[in-house]
Parts: sequence; C-alpha cells; structure tokens
Amino acid sequence: MTRYLLAVSISIVSLYSASAQTITDHLMMPKKDFCTGFMYTYDQWKNYWEGSLKRDNQNIGTLTTTQIMWVGNYGLTDKINLIAMAPYVTTKASGGTLVGLDGIQDLTLAVKYQFLGKEIGTGKLSAFGVGSFSTPLTNYTPDFLPLSIGLQSTTVSGRVTAAYRMNQGWFVSASGSYMWRSNVSLDRPSYYTDGNIYFTNQVWMPNQFTSTYSIGYHKNALQTEINLTQQNTLGGGDIRKQDMPFVSNRMNFLKVGVLGMYYLPKPKNFAVRAQISYTVDGLNVGQSFSVMGGILYTFHFAKKENQ
Amino acid sequence: MKIFTIRLFVVALILIVFPFSCKDITGTEALYPYVPTSVDANAGTWLPIVLTSNSQIVVPAPTAPNSAAYLAELASLKDIQSKLTSDQKKTIEYWSVGGVLRWNQIFRKLVAQYNLPPVPNPDGSYPTPDAENPFSNPQFPFSNPPYAARAYSYVSVAIYDALKAAWYYKDFYKATRPDSPYEVDNGVQALMPKIDLPPYPSEDATMSGAAAEMLKVLFPASVEEITKLAADQRNAALWSGRATSSDITAGLNLGKSVAGFITAAGTGRFRTDGMGAAIGTPAQWKVFENDAITKGEIPWISLDVPARPPMLPFFGNVKAWNLSPAQIVSERPLPPPSTSSDQMKQELAEVKRYASGVTREQMAIVHRWADGAGTYTPPGHWNDIAEEYIRDAKFSEVRAARAFALLNMALHDAGVACWNTKYFYFNPRPTQLDPSIKTSTGIPNFPAYVSGHSTFSASASTVLSYLFPQGATSFSSMADEASNSRLYGAIHYRSDCKEGLSLGKRVGGYTVNYAMTDGAN
Repeated sequence: MTRYLLAVSISIVSLYSASAQTITDHLMMPKKDFCTGFMYTYDQWKNYWEGSLKRDNQNIGTLTTTQIMWVGNYGLTDKINLIAMAPYVTTKASGGTLVGLDGIQDLTLAVKYQFLGKEIGTGKLSAFGVGSFSTPLTNYTPDFLPLSIGLQSTTVSGRVTAAYRMNQGWFVSASGSYMWRSNVSLDRPSYYTDGNIYFTNQVWMPNQFTSTYSIGYHKNALQTEINLTQQNTLGGGDIRKQDMPFVSNRMNFLKVGVLGMYYLPKPKNFAVRAQISYTVDGLNVGQSFSVMGGILYTFHFAKKENQ
Repeated sequence: MKIFTIRLFVVALILIVFPFSCKDITGTEALYPYVPTSVDANAGTWLPIVLTSNSQIVVPAPTAPNSAAYLAELASLKDIQSKLTSDQKKTIEYWSVGGVLRWNQIFRKLVAQYNLPPVPNPDGSYPTPDAENPFSNPQFPFSNPPYAARAYSYVSVAIYDALKAAWYYKDFYKATRPDSPYEVDNGVQALMPKIDLPPYPSEDATMSGAAAEMLKVLFPASVEEITKLAADQRNAALWSGRATSSDITAGLNLGKSVAGFITAAGTGRFRTDGMGAAIGTPAQWKVFENDAITKGEIPWISLDVPARPPMLPFFGNVKAWNLSPAQIVSERPLPPPSTSSDQMKQELAEVKRYASGVTREQMAIVHRWADGAGTYTPPGHWNDIAEEYIRDAKFSEVRAARAFALLNMALHDAGVACWNTKYFYFNPRPTQLDPSIKTSTGIPNFPAYVSGHSTFSASASTVLSYLFPQGATSFSSMADEASNSRLYGAIHYRSDCKEGLSLGKRVGGYTVNYAMTDGAN
C-alpha cells in the first residue's frame, strides 16, 4: 500500500491558486491512511501579459513568489479522501519601490470520491468527483497586485477526473473543474475595471474553468508525468496599458509541467516530490517558471487492525 | 454506478446553489430620485463665475402656450409617451436622480479611464499625450491629479454658470411659459420628480450642452460616449413629460454657448489659463534642479524606471479660481527641512519605520486613499464624498451644481498652490534619500513637499464643512486620514503632510470667502 503515498502533493502552483495534485489526480489514499507534509515552491516571472500584450516592467523587475504549503490527505474509506492545504506565501519585486508582502493565505478543504473503477482490457478506468472549498485564513489585501499574496475570494469548486492506467504503469488522465468565486471587498470605495467605474468596495469575481491533462508512468515507488493545465476565467477585464493588475482581471494561462515523485525505501513511509512548471501562454498573468519540492510522510492508522 | 453518479450530481448541485445564490454586487447605485427641498427660484440672481452676467447668452422668447407650434409639441410628446420602450424608461430612470449628480459620476468615470501614464518607448524615453491626436498611443489625456482637478472644476463651473443662466431665463419668461407640459395638458404624464419651475429653457438640456461640450474638449477620444449621454439626458427630459422640444432646444443652445464661451479659441478662460505651458521643456526642468543645488539641497529625481519627465511642472502657474497669482505665491509654505538637516534625518527615520511594517489597518488607510493611476484621483474621491451629502440635502439642480463648483474650484486651487510649492522646493521623496524604503503604494512622479493628498483633502474638507456643517468633523478626520495615508505608505515625510493640510485649509478658505458673497445664501 505504500505506493498510495504518491496520492498527496501539490503539482501546480498557479500564481494565485493553489491547486493540488491530489485534487486533480487519479489516485486515492486507502482507508485510515494519513499522508502529510510540506511543499516549497519558488515561482518567478519577469514578463507578463498586459491583456494579451506580453511585456516586462522595470518598475516590477522580476516578481518572485515563494510558498510553503502544508498538505494533508486522509483516507476516510478507500473511495473517499479528505484533503486539506494551507500555504504561507511571500512576494517580492526586484525592481521599483513597491514593498513585498507575506502571510498565511487560503485554507483549502476537499472531498474526493471515486465513483468508478473498472477493469478494461489490460488496464483500469477510474473516475473521480471532487468538491473543494477554499477561504482566506487571514485578512491580507487582494488590492496590491502583483504583490498581494492572494485574491481574498472564498471559492467552491466541483471537479471530475477520468484516468486510464495500463497494468504495466503507463497512464493518461484528464480533469476539469468549475470554480465559483465569491465577491471580494477592497479597502477603497471605488474602482475602475473592464470599462466601467464602480462606486462600491465590492468586486464581482468571474468564475473559472480549469482543465488538466496528464500522461505518465506510475508503478511501485515511482510516479512521473507531464501535464498541461489551462485556466480560463469566465469574465473580467484586461489590465489596461501601464495599469496595475486588478483582482477580478480575466487571468488565463496555459502551463506545462513535469512531475516526479518517489517513495523512499528508507526511512520508511517517506516520499519526495518535485515539479517544474512553465507558463506557455496567458492573459493578465505573469509568465512564471516555478520549481517545487516537498517531502511527505504517511501514517498507517489501520495497520494494527489489518494485521 | 448509477447511484454514485446521482450522488455526484446532488453534491454538485448543492455546491452550485448554496454558497453563491447571492453573488450580485448590491448598493452600486447610490442615487435615487428626489424632490428638492427648495427649487431656488432666485438662482438667476446668483453671481456668475465665468460669464459676465446670467443674461450674457441670449435666449429667445418661447412661443405662447396656445400657439400651434407649442400644441404640436405637446401632441408629439403624448405620442412619444404612449409608445415608450423599456430602454427609454431605463433612460428616464437613470437621469431622474438628478443630472448634476449623474454628470459628476460620469466625469469621475472618464478621469479614471484616462488616468494612465504613457508607456515608455523602447529607448527609455516617454511619448507625450497629444490633444490633436487623442486616439493614438499614448491616449490623450493622461488625467493625472492636476489635470483631473482642473477638469472637474471646468465641467462643474460650466454646468453651474449655465444653470444660473437657465434659472434667469426661466424667471424672465415665466409669464409666457409658466407651466411644465404635464401641468399644461393632463394627457402628459410626469415620469420624473415634479420640479415647480417654469420649463423654458430646460435645465436638463442646458446642463447636457454645457457638460458635454466641456467634456468633449477635456476627453476628446470619448466624444461618442459623451454625445450619447448628453442626448440621453435631453431625451429623458422630453420622454418624462418635463420639457417639450422647444424647452430643450433653448436649453441645449444656452448650455453649449456657455461652454463655448469658456473654451473659445484665443479668448476663453480654458484656453488662456496657462495649462498649455504646464509641461514645459527639459531645459526649464533643469532650472528646478540647479536652483535646488544652488540652495545646497538634494534635487528631486524621478524614481520611475526609466526616469519619467516630471508631472506638469508648471501647473503651479495655471490660473486659480479664487486666488490671484500673488496669493498663490504668498500662501506658499516655508521651506521644508533641509535635506542635510537633523530634522530631515528624523523624518526620514519615521518614514522608514512605516516602510518596515504597517499594521493591516494602516495599510487599509493607504489603499483607501491611494487614488493613484487608473482611479478618479483624490479630487474625484472628494467629489464621491460630496455626492451623498448633496443627495441627502435634497439640493435643487442649481444648488447641487454650486456645491460641486465650489468644491472643485477649491480642489483646482489646491492643485495649483501645491504644485507651485512642489516645484519651487523640488524636494526628494523618502525613497530617493534612502533606497531601502519600500512603499505600499506607488510613488507619484513629482517632488514631495507638500503632499498633494493633504492639500487637496484639506481644501475639500474646508469647503464641504462650509456647505454641510453637520459633516465638518467627519470631513476633517477624513482629510487627516488621507494625509496620514501618505506617511504610512512611506512616500511622504510628516512635514509634507502637515504643511499640505495647512496649505489646503488656507486655499479652501478663499473659496469659502467667495461662497459667502455669491448671492446663494
């Protein structure tokens, strides 16, 4: 059962959404196993898309976001997993005069449910539904982009994932999620976005659709994959020429990532995980390159009963 | 399988419906229709600001109520009212809250839309927005705070002067056309609040003409949007049964003529107030630098990368509304602490303390008042604050126009006095003296002393406290907060804030002195 350790980790650190591998992947923790650990991500960009125009800005220089995230995944049953994550985020701009920020960002809680597992040919087709909820843990400002540590929106999302894994280890998977995002409050009484002025501190946040595709190999202690993630924000305005980004901007991106995970023979129950990802295309986001590394430990609470 | 799938859909449905059933932004419409406390029937006797007299622009006499022409207008009006579409009803509803308040919102929107600095060229130079070529890149204008302050004042004054002239003629022709269409003919419905004033010339059409003509000069690339809004306002007046087409034509011509007088090439105040020379030349900017060095001070430099030309360095010489050029000079604050003084070291150390850590509440204050690029600017913020007081006081259109004109004259004068001070002393920002100082808002691209936010805010607070004494405590604490926000944001020294507030208060006093004698009390 040790290979199920692979089920927990974060693979994609988009600039402001912490989506976790465990939420998008096709693996489940067995009953009464609890896998937990920390992931460190170093993400930076120099170029960004101002609307669809790719440019740099010497008053920002290179924007670096680092993140230390706690993750936990508990197998309530073999078919139902409970997942939680919470990151500490730090931002810094190498150019200009704007101050970097840091703090605890959002808590994500998710329930993952495997509703299909069927042998087909020489492999297995499985399908999953995930319901996630995220909410800010602290009152950080969302109105100081690109240096804000998050967007301060409470979200609820529904996801469906399907995967086919051949018995020798090769797999493909596809996953799609729809995220509802709550309004955000600013500290100011008025703002301009998307061609209109608003005389309120409330900002309507467009929802998002994100799809992830991966192809890889997963057998015994090793998991590797290449993945593609496309985030589409369903509304929102573009960053205007020479303006700052705004919380409800239409932030879209296409990222490619390479992931590797390995369960260590010793010490027991430990696993390491690494991922790099690169933003190939986008709108109103930075062209980020990020590197992630982490370590995980699994507790087998059911061990005694089983033996 | 089937059961699992059904369960999944149930979960998904709950997730959709439950938390986001009320996601719409509420409370964005701060305005609602009201009947004014007083119609200010005597406003035709109040002092004009730019016009030489309220009868300067000639408005021809209306036709008699029993004339064939007027009866035809009424018949046409009834026909229109019988076929109103829902879009037309929405237009009536939009304008029924009061044209003066609406136009103020519209020009705040335009300022926010155009308040973006030019993008640097690849060689590190910057293009200059060009009024003759407003649709190109960079867009024209860059409605930064001084540009915006002046723009708000001209639009507000044009509307105010035009309305006093309209009130003058309403009274002058009241024997010929005493009643509104819905009073003359009970087949006409009143779909906007009934105002007990003669309808000729239409106040709605008057302000549409004055506002649109001024805005078209200030924001030429938005001509289409402005023209449509002005036409909507006139249509709303007609469709609502408040005015007939001759009331509207007379008002439109009057309003346009007032704006035309202000913007007349070669002679209009707008063309001769010195704004054309406010940018200056690199050789002239060098003089500021040399003067500071001669005085033994460290001269200001732009902290934008690449270094950006200073923002409107000669705005301090633009004509003020209620201060003479000599008064602008005599009100100029004493010099800031020398860049080499102990006091400056202490003030810099204080800024550094805020730079290395503000509380969340202090950061909220910084962002509440930042009003930087892409926003309606600090003058716009004070118009936003004034809006609810004007609405709650149920001012007539002409008195609402007076309130905005007084407020924006003071804000413009504050801009002139502040810019005059800034470039006279050419004092560096904290981050220039200590590059380790990081800021929680953008550093404006002009010298530090005195703080623009402080000057603007104190002048606005002074005028609003005169107009709405019940709000004086609140205005004053908002001005203090706006001023402090610049220190918390680590972009100003305490002296900048303190002296800025003091300057703004004195400058606002000149407008209050004017207001006490303008005949409206």
